[in-house]
Amino acid sequence: MGDPAAGLTAAGLTAAGLTAAGLDGSGLVMARVRRSRGRPVVSLSAAETHLLRGLLGQFDETLAARAPARSDDPLEAAVGIADGPAEPPADPGLARLVPAGYRDDPEAAAELRRLTEPALLHAKIDAARRLVESLPERSGKVTLDGESAAGWIGTLNDLRLVLGTRLGVTEDGDPLGGHRRTAPRAAPYVIYHWLTALQDRLVDAVDLD
Amino acid sequence: MAAPERTGETDTEERADIDRPWVTIVWNDPINLMSYVTHILQKLFGYSKDKATDLMLDVHHKGRAAVSHGSREQMENDVSRLHAAGLWATLQRD
Repeated sequence: MGDPAAGLTAAGLTAAGLTAAGLDGSGLVMARVRRSRGRPVVSLSAAETHLLRGLLGQFDETLAARAPARSDDPLEAAVGIADGPAEPPADPGLARLVPAGYRDDPEAAAELRRLTEPALLHAKIDAARRLVESLPERSGKVTLDGESAAGWIGTLNDLRLVLGTRLGVTEDGDPLGGHRRTAPRAAPYVIYHWLTALQDRLVDAVDLD
Repeated sequence: MAAPERTGETDTEERADIDRPWVTIVWNDPINLMSYVTHILQKLFGYSKDKATDLMLDVHHKGRAAVSHGSREQMENDVSRLHAAGLWATLQRD
């Protein structure tokens, strides 16, 4: 199975990008989420905090490169005139975050994308920044209220969408991409699975019913 | 116990179809967690856990599920909300 992001060797949130940033998946433990007085509490080691900061920095850069600059014009901000791109991003990982809204009508899809993509990306960028702000300096515990838990869940999902698409993860494929668990090339997959477990535990912790 | 009044029900169903000619489809993908898809369907549409789970299982096993119906504008709004949550969704005529 090839790496769909092979042409993006310097880009973040790719196997090469993670390696270049020294994010090698070391020091990760089983994602730890418990509940305290009805709120999820996430326990992070120093390595895990460092990893999340690194990943979210790369995520921010990836999305900011596509999202238009935010307008200072108060009328534009109030009316919400958006003039986003009409075509999807060339990068499949980024494209997965902003899929087409119509499957069989390219014109309708282009119009919907122009109207909605910028705000969609800005919301994801903002949520990721809020997650970074909630991180401890090194190791520590983060207690999440309803809003911040939803934010964490959404941002972890976004990270997994970009990274997972670029790694080419499939439902039935080898979860380590054919690499041995201790091989350096397994590191991005180990990171992806750590993010998956953390998100899954958080969804459990905020179980709606 | 009396049975509910049934006259006019067919007319109501036809009117409902005319009023809701568009549908939002959620598509399967290899990254979204089953637990997360269920969670989002409950959160965005107010579905019970059972209904959200059924829809998620349709997505998982059949590749797609219709999660809402309505006007084109309503479905564009639903698709946008689903994309904000990271699900892959499209709208089409019902």
